[in-house]
Amino acid sequence: MKQSAATRWMLIGFQILLALFVLLPFFWMLSVSLKPATEPFAIPARLWPQAPTLENYVTAFRPEFRTYFMNSMIVSGASVLITVSLGLLAAYSFTRGRLLVITALMGLVVLAQMFPHSAIIIPFYKLMRSADLLNTYASLILAYVSVTLPVAVWMLRGFLQKLPVSLEEAAAIDGAAPLRIFWEIVVPLARPGIIATAVYVLIVTWQEFLFALSFTSTKEMRTLPVGLNDFIGQYGIRYGELMASSVMVSVPVIAVFFFLQRYFVAGLTAGAVKG
Amino acid sequence: MTSSDQRLVWAFLAPTLLLLGVFLYYPMIGTVIESFYDTSFISPEPRFVGWSVYEKVLSSRAFPEVVWNSIMWTLGVVLLQNLLGFFTAMLLNQGLPAQGMTRALVLLPFVLPGVVTAILWRFMYDPQLGLINSILIRLGVLQENAAWLASSDTAMAAVIFVAVWKGFPFSMLIYLAALQNVDKSQLEAATLDGAGPVRRLIDVTLPAIKDVILVNIVLTLILTFNYFDIVWVMTRGGPQNATHIFPTKIFETGFGQFRFGEAATYGVFSILVLAVLVAIYIIVQRSAAARRPVG
Repeated sequence: MKQSAATRWMLIGFQILLALFVLLPFFWMLSVSLKPATEPFAIPARLWPQAPTLENYVTAFRPEFRTYFMNSMIVSGASVLITVSLGLLAAYSFTRGRLLVITALMGLVVLAQMFPHSAIIIPFYKLMRSADLLNTYASLILAYVSVTLPVAVWMLRGFLQKLPVSLEEAAAIDGAAPLRIFWEIVVPLARPGIIATAVYVLIVTWQEFLFALSFTSTKEMRTLPVGLNDFIGQYGIRYGELMASSVMVSVPVIAVFFFLQRYFVAGLTAGAVKG
Repeated sequence: MTSSDQRLVWAFLAPTLLLLGVFLYYPMIGTVIESFYDTSFISPEPRFVGWSVYEKVLSSRAFPEVVWNSIMWTLGVVLLQNLLGFFTAMLLNQGLPAQGMTRALVLLPFVLPGVVTAILWRFMYDPQLGLINSILIRLGVLQENAAWLASSDTAMAAVIFVAVWKGFPFSMLIYLAALQNVDKSQLEAATLDGAGPVRRLIDVTLPAIKDVILVNIVLTLILTFNYFDIVWVMTRGGPQNATHIFPTKIFETGFGQFRFGEAATYGVFSILVLAVLVAIYIIVQRSAAARRPVG
């Protein structure tokens, strides 16, 4: 569409406002995290620190923070691996299986993605308690795999449906075993879908809060979101350290997202727009 | 897979079906069962009490508050997030300079972890040290510092604003993809007929993406109703229950006070609400699929 010059400038103005609305909080988080403890951060002081320093980062990177980071990496990493593997197997069956039961089961998988976590957490907690798994990585990984699987299956199925069946049929005629067809033809072709799904699971599990808060009870097992929430009480209004920790928690997911966003956006919008 | 490989189909499905059955479907039923039992910190052994937990919850002062708050919260967030998301998508579909970069930047809040978002905005709202009061006082909108999260008049609006800030990029992404699928020739034909931008929006664009809008609104209703982290970290449901919604109430009752029966009863009510929303979602999506041309 062609716009008149005046309209165009107005739209550019809106775009700048939009960018400000989104970026101002980020800018401030970064600015406060770089402020030395001696410099007051209340405005009418300045928006950007006079003498930026990394001292808040050094203080915030204390041993407990490192433990939380490690825990988050282990729990998210394992969840990504397991969810994507199981999701791919299931999605393949859902696209290639021909029985009516399978279509009905796919309906149940889609339905499960809408279950409220807060409404299932008490029986889930009791299951973990009777299995003696509370306050372990296993309890969180089980929870994360279960709650991310429905969307993962749905995303991967969207990708697999677009793959031509003819390749698999040709390989079958040549006598390739079904498992080999899956491993050597389907998995490599599904790579963009696998990446998109992995990014989704990472974003969800890296920030998951409700299960982590309910299932972990000691500092040794806390993940980053819960640890960060504990800091609010401990740090009081030492916002410099709080913001430095926040930046360190956010950078890994933001980095992964920006490198892989085209896969993720394609995976998300393909399903959501086409139904 | 050929039909002789049906055993492989089931082998591939088994782990997923097992996990979803044990950890999602069983707990759904478990919550309903739990709501008929009384457990507390003092008597941790569950005791069957019939409907009495329901009577207790329904007659409590907190229940109508939680219902009302959940309605305000869900409708407020969904409405604003979809409006802002839609207009942002329109704006980023105009071929202005730096659109690609702006789109990437707008997605930032969507990726920012929920707890980080909540902590950052608690700080933004801080009466003395926060950026919001500083800016508003400088602009002359406020005369003195306002305690946004500590006042029951403003807490809900403040929390809704944050959820919209974090959620609108998701809606934007969906709407942008839909807008890019709108038939260009129809838009050009409307322009030749003398239709301005508003007419084109109402006559061509909106009808073309109506289904996406409907499905997306119901989807965000479901997601927003289930929200926990931002509200909990920012206000813990306070002040004076002003921001307690179903998920925060369930968590506080269940894991703060170990009253599992009451928490489960709140859970059952939220399952009922969700069931209605999911039913609407399925109807909307079915009719959208039926209207879509084949191919």
